[in-house]
Parts: sequence; structure tokens; C-alpha cells
Amino acid sequence: MNKLFQKIYFDPYLFFSLFLLSMLGLFFLFSASNADAGIVLKQFVYVVAGFIIMILVSQPDPDIFRRTSGFFLIFSLLLLGITYLFGPEINGAQRWVRIGPLSFQSSELLKLAVPIFLANFLFDKKLPIQRKEIIISLIIIFCCFFFVFRQPDLGTALIIAFSGLFVLFLSGLSWSFIGGSLIVFIISSPFIWNILLEPFQRQRIATFFNPESDPFGASWNIIQSKVAIGSGGFFGKGFGGGSQTQLNFLPETETDFIFSVIGEEFGFLGVLLLLSIYLFILLRCFYLALSARDRFCRLVIGGLSLTFAANLMINLCMVVGLLPVVGMPLPFISKGGSSLMSLFLAFGIIVSMGTHKKFLPQ
Amino acid sequence: MIFEERQIEKNNFSSRATLLFGLIMLGLIAVLIKVFSLQISGYTDYQLAALKNKNYAVPVQSLRGEIFDRNGRALIKNEPTFDLITRPNLISDIDSFLEEIEPVIFLSVTEKLRYKKFQKEKAFVNKELVLKKDLSDEEIARFNVRSFNFQNTFIAKRYRRISDYPDIFSHVLGYTSRIEDDFKSMPEIPRSHWKDAELLYAFGLIKGRTGLEEIYDDYLTGKHGERVYEMNARGQLVQPLSFIKPTKGPDLYTNLDIDAQKSAAKSLGNRKGAVVAIDLESGGINVLYSSPAYSINKLSNGMSENELQALINDPDKPFFNRALQGRYPPASTIKPAIGMYGLSNNIVNWDFEMKDPGFFTLPETGRVFRGWLKGGHGKVNMHKAFLVSSNTYFYSLAYQADILELSNHLSSLGFGQKVCLDCFDEDQAFVPTPEWKYSIMNAGWVKGDTVNLGIGQGYLVATPMQLANYASLLAAKGKFIEPSLVLPGNQKKSLKIWHDDGFDDSDWNKMHEALLGVIESDYGTARSIRDLKEFQVAGKSGTAELVSLDSKEAYQEVRSSELLRDHSIIIAFGPMPNPRYAVSVVIENGESGGAVAGPVAIEVLKSLINE
Repeated sequence: MNKLFQKIYFDPYLFFSLFLLSMLGLFFLFSASNADAGIVLKQFVYVVAGFIIMILVSQPDPDIFRRTSGFFLIFSLLLLGITYLFGPEINGAQRWVRIGPLSFQSSELLKLAVPIFLANFLFDKKLPIQRKEIIISLIIIFCCFFFVFRQPDLGTALIIAFSGLFVLFLSGLSWSFIGGSLIVFIISSPFIWNILLEPFQRQRIATFFNPESDPFGASWNIIQSKVAIGSGGFFGKGFGGGSQTQLNFLPETETDFIFSVIGEEFGFLGVLLLLSIYLFILLRCFYLALSARDRFCRLVIGGLSLTFAANLMINLCMVVGLLPVVGMPLPFISKGGSSLMSLFLAFGIIVSMGTHKKFLPQ
Repeated sequence: MIFEERQIEKNNFSSRATLLFGLIMLGLIAVLIKVFSLQISGYTDYQLAALKNKNYAVPVQSLRGEIFDRNGRALIKNEPTFDLITRPNLISDIDSFLEEIEPVIFLSVTEKLRYKKFQKEKAFVNKELVLKKDLSDEEIARFNVRSFNFQNTFIAKRYRRISDYPDIFSHVLGYTSRIEDDFKSMPEIPRSHWKDAELLYAFGLIKGRTGLEEIYDDYLTGKHGERVYEMNARGQLVQPLSFIKPTKGPDLYTNLDIDAQKSAAKSLGNRKGAVVAIDLESGGINVLYSSPAYSINKLSNGMSENELQALINDPDKPFFNRALQGRYPPASTIKPAIGMYGLSNNIVNWDFEMKDPGFFTLPETGRVFRGWLKGGHGKVNMHKAFLVSSNTYFYSLAYQADILELSNHLSSLGFGQKVCLDCFDEDQAFVPTPEWKYSIMNAGWVKGDTVNLGIGQGYLVATPMQLANYASLLAAKGKFIEPSLVLPGNQKKSLKIWHDDGFDDSDWNKMHEALLGVIESDYGTARSIRDLKEFQVAGKSGTAELVSLDSKEAYQEVRSSELLRDHSIIIAFGPMPNPRYAVSVVIENGESGGAVAGPVAIEVLKSLINE
């Protein structure tokens, strides 16, 4: 057994913390779905499949990911195009692509493809990065952002943009360029508000700044979420005992607002435990990034783990009322196969990048 | 890349990664602080908000207190009826359910339509729905035998507010009517929840509208209970959480007397008028009757629109409570009050005699005021003036009165003000003053107005309640009785005495003697009722002229039109010499006071005294 572990590429810290997180996720989901065993069972299958994918993806040498990164990006964009042309429209958005019995949110792959491609593009460039390279990177990031944004899926589009920008920043983007683009962004923000955002997205942002303006409309979700978390108190109302959750005052309990369920039923203690696990995972990723064997691996680990962190932060800030409502699941906890698969895929790549060394110890 | 360059790159990466991961840490801390502020600092507020979301409180109606007469006999009671109630959420197919239940319970087309209309709505939120009201005994028996077939249906007791004497106590008891909510009594329950109140009355939430039902509404209502349900976000009731039992309203024990009220109603018959009788010891009102009346049972439990319109449009105005709101000239019944004024102000004494030629001439203008007997009563003193009801005597007494003092005197006897402690919508009528006349008629007070006041004609008006109060004061020799409908104990009464230095006990005795003579002596104007009873009664009758006429021919003409005929009035108290009850009777267009109103007063006194 020990020999087997020595032969495969495997990070016990990440493995067990992710395992703990996934098991807690199934436990929370049972309560959040009003004790629907079917949903939990389905999610359990995804979790098992996810761990298998993660272990499998950890094995190849990082060079393989580097060399295939261009194909991976094109493949992801192709899937996105198929979604755009043939995908079914659900709730006014085309996000899903169907392959046989499986359906998949094609944009999830871009969260991986964009940072890996940019890491490959930038890892052998001299410091500081030249203007030409910056512009090419930004065009790629913007195109991927824009395709997903038009689905429309603002949450995922933002995450994709972040994933690219993280890699760009980590690879040594000059500070003067960062400062300049911030100014441009601030100046152009009225344009973004008026032209680019859909009315419902504008509504969400407006509600965020004044939630009492419309207590039964758009801000219902955020008010109910705060009530759920706040009424949990220090110890919570107990498993299955949250009135906000069980009586359906809280919306989207299985997906976006599952953190509110945890807050209501397990209180501040539960929240503390959950956040500690996330913190541990992030710190481990940070360590792996610093100790990775080369610049490509560093950039990929940094980009993917920060993307995971951004995903987490957006969800947390949204449900506690620090950010406007955007559709964003809580990683490893919320129901849904697509995001779970892409997360395990991402952590598989992180483990691969973090555990492969140039010279294997004899 | 050369080694040095690689080292620079690595350091650069480390510092930038540290910056980003640091920012993420800060974000996590911000979230933790926010969660802390929600769960620890804001806990109480959010816990309340969560409870407000899920707890749905509905009021549970309390049973109203019943109302009793002074002998403990029920005037208004809660009579149980039975309604068939369903749980629509347990009924999947309405049509087959209705088909199944039809052989057991007869359903009209409107009942079925109404049920179908509300079934879905109630089923969705798990609320109950009445299928049929007021089941017959036969239907109840049939249903009970087959109840195991109908798990979704049950029979519930619902009350109706019923009086066994709906037509003779209508004005005094009053009626109840349906209200949408009783928000005032339970402000903690939102107004919108009242539509789901658990009802005890078939007619829904009810509230007293007139009479005792209105005056003692809060007392009779008791305290509604409360049932709290757990409700989900779609408004469905999930399960009951808690229950506070309603408190039945306490019963109301009144001073009313069923037998006396019955005899008042019977002897008034279908004439318009009012009777008020007061127990001198307690001040309790034993009789308060106004005719014509209406059925409070029908009004309280659903009356057809046609019936209601007929009552409203009836020219006899049955809703008008004549006993409390009718304004009548007191006519000759005011004479004892004028006499008291003359005696206490030393204008006359009991020995003073004058000649009554049958009329009084106003010295200033020469205007002639006539007596009721042509040729007059000869020599009259005050005693005789009461007995024969000499107008001339009281004209000339009033002529010497100061109008302001006389007005004050009449007010001190209860005229022009509310006298009953707990009567619904009592009118205060009024005592005229020069100021009043000037403001209303834009004309000055003339001596003739005061002279007319001396025989209770002209501007002075009083309600039968005020007349009864005045009779009580005369009977109790100045003691204020403070009439009330409900037994003392519910309210404290003051002990006021009418007192004047110029009017002492011997004056009271002589007054009683004279008023006794009105009925019991051979000369009394009301002697026709002397033989109707076994006990002695004192009193004063009056005939209120609606049209003042000088010629006999014109008078005959007027008599032919019923509505212009005089009102007949009497105040009386007995049994003498120690009176226990005082009574006033007014019969509209009844003419001669003693002969018409007198027998009614005697019947009421008889039934009160002979109990």
C-alpha cells in the first residue's frame, strides 16, 4: 500500500481536506434539499467521480498540460460555440451543452483553459512583460469573458476574467500598467453600466445598495439570506431545524445560498469550521505554488487556486450581503456536477504541478 | 533563462502571490466579521425576523357573554347550531366528493358553487372551508353514522346570538353585526390574519352595534384566543405550534324585568310610544320600551335586504328609540317642577289661593292663555291646582318667574341632559333659554314664552327617560337615582340630593299628597285609572299639544288627522306611601294623558310590584 502511494502523485493535505469538505457538503445538502436523498445520492456519485478524475489528472507530467494548453483552450471555446448554437435556453440563458446523457456547463472548462494557456504563453517571457504580450493576453481574456458574459452568465464570466488576470499579474505585469488600466476602468464604468449590463443585472446591483427599496422583489433573496444566517446565532438551530431553510423562505438553498443554510443550522461555529477548511486548502495551495518546480507550474497553481478563492469569496460575500447577487455556487458544497468536476479537475492539475519535481528522488 | 534571472522571477512571483493570497485572507476575515455581526450582534433582530416569517397567528374567537334580566332569566343567549366543515387539502376530486356527500347532506346549487369557488384556494394553504351552515338534527344524525367515510369533513358547533324576546327588547338590548376584524382588541395580530380567524359564531366575527350589546361590547366580548401556525414561504400552514384559549366574555346582569317589559309592550300594543320604569332603590331601569320595535334575532343573524329596507323605510320609524331619543313637550307633567320652583323661591306657598276663570291674560300684551276647562276651576290653591291641573294657576306662577332661574331649576331636575349612566345613544333634549331662542330663531325671549313653559308647552322638550328620571326624583323626595341598565357594582353611583332651602320635608310630603290626589281623589284628572289596581299610585298626567288652537272647530278638524293629535303622557310612582318604582309613559297621538297613558303605567307598576 505504501509503495502504491509512493508511486502515484498525491498530496495528502489537499486530498483529506477536500474529502472532509465534500463529505460536509453532502451532509449540508441533505438538509438544504429538505432531506431529498435522491439529490444527495446523485451528488455523492459526482464527488466519487471527481476524486477519481482528480487522482487521474494528477499523474501526467506538467509538461503535457503545457504542450496541450492551446488545444485545450480551442476545445473549450468550441464547446462554448456549440452551446451558443445548439444549447437549450433555460431561464433566459444558454449555458448548457449536452453530450449523450450528460449535460455540462461549457464555460466551466474555460476557467481552467484560460489560466493554463496564459501561463504557457507567459512563462518563458522576460521580465518585465512587454506591451505586445500584455495586449495579446488581455484580448484573449476579454474574448473569453465576453463569450460567457453574453450567455448571459456574469458570475462565471467574471471568474474567467479573474483567472486570466491573476496569471497576468503573477507573471510580472508592471505596476504602471495596472495603475493606468484602473483609471481607464473607472472612467469607462458608466459605459459598462449602461451598455453592457442586462437590466436584471443592473437591478441586482441597485438592490444591493438599497435592499429595503424592494423587499418582496429583487432583494427578497438577500434579506432572507441575512435573516437565515443571523437567526442561526452561535450554535445554530440544528440539523434540519432551520425554519428559513425548511419552510423555503430562503431561495436556492441547494446551490447559491447553501452557505446561509449552514449559517442557520450550524451557527457561527459551523461557519468557523467551514472557513477554516477553506483557509487550510488555500494555504496549502500557496505553499505548493511557492515550492513548485518551475515558473509554468507556479503560474498555473497560483492562477487556479486564486480562481478557486475568487469563486469562494464571491459566493460568501454575496450571501452575507457584502456583494450584489450573482449566480455563483459555493465550491465543493453546492449541488451541481459541472462546477464540481471543473473544481476537481483544477485541483488534479494543481496536485500534478505541485508534486512533480524535475529530478525524482531515488 | 540564466539562474540569476530565474531567482528574480521567483522572488517577484512570491511577493505577488503573497499579496493576492493576503487579500483573500482579508476577504475571508471580512466575511467572518460580517457573519459575526449577523449571528452574534444582530442575533435578536434576525431571530425575530425569522419567527415573523414562519409564525402565522390567527385569532380564535371568544364566546360573548350572555345577558340576563334582574331575576336571572336569559335575555340574550348563545344558541349552538352545527356547521359542516371540510379540509379541502384532503379532497382530491371535488365533484366526486360532493356527489358522495349529497345523499347525506342536502346541498343547494349556490352552496355547491360557493364551495367550488373557494376550494382550491383553501386547499393550497391547508385551511378549512364551511360546506353547509346550520345542519338539521336529521342531517347531523345521518352524517355521524357515516362519518368514517368522510375523514376530510367534520361537524363543528357554531353559535347564534338569540333572544327569546326579540321584539320587545330590541332597542334596549340592541343587535350585533359582522365585522371584518377586531384588530383593536388584539393589535399584535396583523389585520390581514383576521380573515382566517377561528370562529365560534355562525355569523362570523361580531360586534355589538346598538343598545347594551354596544355599550358593554368590550365587556361581553371577553378575550379572543390565538393559535399560531408554522407557515412556509408559499403561505401554506404546515403545523400548529401553540394555542392560547379564548376567554368567554362575562355575563351581563341587568336591571331589566322581562314581565314588566312584556306588560309594557302588551299594553302599548301597536301604538307608537315609549315606557320607562325605574327601581327607586337601586336606580335600575326595569323597563325601557319603545314601540314599534323589530326583531333583533333577525338583525343579528342575517336579515334579507328587502326586510331591512322595509324597516328603514317604515314611516313609523321602528329603529327610532323613542324612550331615549323621542323629544316630547312634557305638558302638564312639568307642573310639579314649576310648583317646586314657586315654593322654593317664595313666589307662592301651599295656602296661597287664586281665582281660575279658565284663562290667563298676559298683562303686557293682553294675550290670552287658555285652560283646558272652559269656565275654569274656581278658587284654586296649589294642592287643587295639581289635582285639577289648573293651567291658569301655573301660567300666573310662571309669569312671576325669572326665565334664567327657571331654566336652571329645570336643568337641576335632569332636563336638558343625559340622565342614564349606560344607555345607548341617549338624546339630551333641551331646556330653552333666552340665549338659545335668540341664536335659533333670532328673536328675543318674551314673557309669553315663560308663561307657556309653566304648563310644559312651548319650547321645552324631554325624553321619556328624562321624565322617568324626574318621576324618580319626585318619588324619592329629591334623591338622585342615576338610572342604569346594569346592576350596581359595574359602576359606582354618586349620592346626589336635590336640595333647596326653601323646600323642606313638609313640602315634599304635601307634594306627594297632591300627586297622590291626581289619581286617587275624586277630583284628580287621572282618577279614571284609580280602580285598575289594588295599591295607591301618585302621578301627574299631561296632554302635549302639537298644534295650538283657539277655536273648537279647528280642534275637531285636527283630531281627525291622527298624526296631529296630542301626545298623551303620564309620570307615576307607587305604591304609596312608600314608592318603590317610578314610571313614565308617552303615547304619540294618544290624546288625553290620564285616560290613555295612565292604564299603561298602571300595568307596568302592577307587574313590577306584584312580583
